[in-house]
Amino acid sequence: MRAEAVVTGLGTIGPCGQGREALARALLAGKPAVAEVDRRAGVHREAGARLAGLVRDRDLSRWIAPAAGRRMCFPSKLAVAAARMALAEAGLDAADTGASRVGVYLSTTFGAGLFTELLLKQVFLEGAETAQPFYFSECVANAPAAQLAIAVGARGPNMMLTQRESGPILAVARAAQAVREGRVDRALAGAVEEVTPLLHALLDRFGALALPSGGRAEMPRPFDRRRDGFLAGEGATVLVLEREDAARARGARALARIGWSGAGFDSTAGVSDWGDGHAPLAAALRAGLDEVPGGVAGIGAVVSGASGTRRGDLLEARVLRASWSGDPLPPLLVPKAVTGEYGGGILAPALLALEGASFGPTPGFAEIDPEVDVAPHSGAAQPAPERVLLTGLASGGGAAWLVLERAS
Amino acid sequence: MDASPPRGTGMPGADRDPDRSRTVVVTGLGAVSPLGWSLESLWEGLRAGRTAVGPFDRFDHTGHRTHIAAQVDLALEPRRARGKPRRISAADRFAVAAARSAVARAGIDPRDRCERTGMYFGSTTGGMLETEAYLSTLLAAASGRLGPPAASLLASQQNNGPADAVARELGIGGPVQTVSAACASGAMAIGDAIQAIRRGEVDVAIAGGSDALCRLTYAGFNALRAVDERPCRPFRADRAGLSLGEGAAALVLEPLERAMARGARPLALAAGEAATCDAHHMTSPHPEGHGAAAAIRAALSDARLDPEAIDFVNAHGTGTPLNDAAECAALVAVFGDRTADLPVTSTKALVGHLLGSAGALEAVATILCLLHGEVHPMPDDGQPDPGLPLRLILGRPLRLERARHALSTSLGFGGANAALVFTRLGDPDLAG
Repeated sequence: MRAEAVVTGLGTIGPCGQGREALARALLAGKPAVAEVDRRAGVHREAGARLAGLVRDRDLSRWIAPAAGRRMCFPSKLAVAAARMALAEAGLDAADTGASRVGVYLSTTFGAGLFTELLLKQVFLEGAETAQPFYFSECVANAPAAQLAIAVGARGPNMMLTQRESGPILAVARAAQAVREGRVDRALAGAVEEVTPLLHALLDRFGALALPSGGRAEMPRPFDRRRDGFLAGEGATVLVLEREDAARARGARALARIGWSGAGFDSTAGVSDWGDGHAPLAAALRAGLDEVPGGVAGIGAVVSGASGTRRGDLLEARVLRASWSGDPLPPLLVPKAVTGEYGGGILAPALLALEGASFGPTPGFAEIDPEVDVAPHSGAAQPAPERVLLTGLASGGGAAWLVLERAS
Repeated sequence: MDASPPRGTGMPGADRDPDRSRTVVVTGLGAVSPLGWSLESLWEGLRAGRTAVGPFDRFDHTGHRTHIAAQVDLALEPRRARGKPRRISAADRFAVAAARSAVARAGIDPRDRCERTGMYFGSTTGGMLETEAYLSTLLAAASGRLGPPAASLLASQQNNGPADAVARELGIGGPVQTVSAACASGAMAIGDAIQAIRRGEVDVAIAGGSDALCRLTYAGFNALRAVDERPCRPFRADRAGLSLGEGAAALVLEPLERAMARGARPLALAAGEAATCDAHHMTSPHPEGHGAAAAIRAALSDARLDPEAIDFVNAHGTGTPLNDAAECAALVAVFGDRTADLPVTSTKALVGHLLGSAGALEAVATILCLLHGEVHPMPDDGQPDPGLPLRLILGRPLRLERARHALSTSLGFGGANAALVFTRLGDPDLAG
């Protein structure tokens, strides 16, 4: 019998606050968790985006001692804090993880933006010899994964995956494989992201973000006819994964079982855009879902990676519709409309959905786009699904999917 | 010089594996390095022990502490490798050229059953070089000195750029995954590719890494005082740091059964892989090399080999005082007294530190050494450190015609360690 990987702990910090309860309240309210981005650096467009899903409660002292935190960039702090939160929920402490058989599998898209910016500003504006070594060591993409390993003594494989929007799913899938195959006893898996004013300005300049219009603030509108971009969001989500038999043996509660996972690539995509190659992606997804008990009918909800982009949401809808072969889609939960894009925005909501959390109406959605032809969750009461599908279609072509099952 | 295997096509090494469907072989290699845009130029330079580290002009480095690096000559880029230069970065171009070369050598078309071909690549900075140009213009614009930069200045900027560029160029439809684990990225990506084939997730994996020189890493390593003012001298008594380099390497991996069925000539067995973390310090390796030793032991176990079976080591060998000492400690911990007799070389002495693609290029170098039956040398430019009991290959290649198993190690920032074991195939006399 195949060893199964289960989730026994969830730690999440983001624009909605710290912990699962704050996130659940925000998802129920169905309102984007936004804050005004600091534009004083003068790099923003005048008429550009102004809001982002920023972490406003930055007091992480419950999870990181100030003396340790001062040696970390913000994404490293987020990752360590979310991991410790997850370990606490799993009933584990650092001593339990201080072994060679604990792996770390995180993902990020942009890494430590602030430290990268500060280091480059020193080089460009003040002279290369002024460069701070600390900025450099903490701006490498794997710094959060490494700091997490140092913090909890995880000496197994330590990996940062950088595959944009598909990264969080790839990281969890990769960790689950390692647990199932016995390469590690436990894994800490998830995603982390930081949104700086400069990154926000860059995303806006590239037309990626939702824009203010008619005197009203911008709003991500997943699947809506008027959608014009996403809301950038920051935060971290870390899951504790372990073998189901080991978790049960120590009396841990399994929050979810990791089911099928798959990945693909749409080679029609541009460098920073989504393509139109939905058919091969749908074939890959459908083939995977056929292995899931009940097939597509066994999927009780889709926790969609849609975020409000014109082409990304269209591709997502086409892939889902083709995978379901014309059958009605299950409820489409779109948490990035609340949390923003990046930072593992769909991982924690997917676990909450499995636990029966209620999701409010999808913010920003009012009118079906005939080309997209799907509508996200309306806020109507839904039974807790037995199984949810997580989707992550990345700009540039990457794609990843994961099924989470309720662990009986 | 021909870089392809000089011997026959038997696969004795694989006979140890009762389940051939899980046996992974290398059927294609490609590399873009400071020694040139081809595998042939790489091998020729490695064999000659000729360092490519020297003056460079990729960007203005007048304000930096050091002024050398190993850069790829962009003017020598083969015409067929040129994609759409306005939208792909230097790192992407290296990756595409290396992957095209590897795929051509393997004799495969990734578009055939493209959904069964996966991409596993490492990169630490992706298109950072081009991002820097954009940012410097944007910052100047913010201070009123310039107008805003055109969006087209920014090529594929993130670390996933090289993998995506290859996947797009070759029409890959399977999983595409970029690993950013600092200097262990390339080796870890290859390890992931080996696992994916063993699991049956893909039939073919293109694995490797790509990184380009950029101001960020050049300033950063200089700020850490980790860059030598002279070309790096791994494991030498007067070593004073690393030398930065750039380039890409790609390996085509597939199951042995599949390679045999299509009449391909496997170049080597991808026998073992493993990764660990020191969990010790962000920039300093564990002084006794605990994590590195654990990775080497696990890779040997994965390959089902005893340490005695390893014929030579392609070491991470950066030339920094701490790394080389820790790596030597790890080798001693695994190989014991035999370490002093075990041939050790470092490819970085010749091409510099390729960061996210270092492990991949060194895997290619390791396989070339196995194929040619000789270990490439490092330049003979300094006394070996008497505190490091290693048999360094200096000045001239070491003939090791009967070499079968080789180890390649990669150790990165944040304590990321990876080890790969390759086994030579194709010599029935050595079936053992």
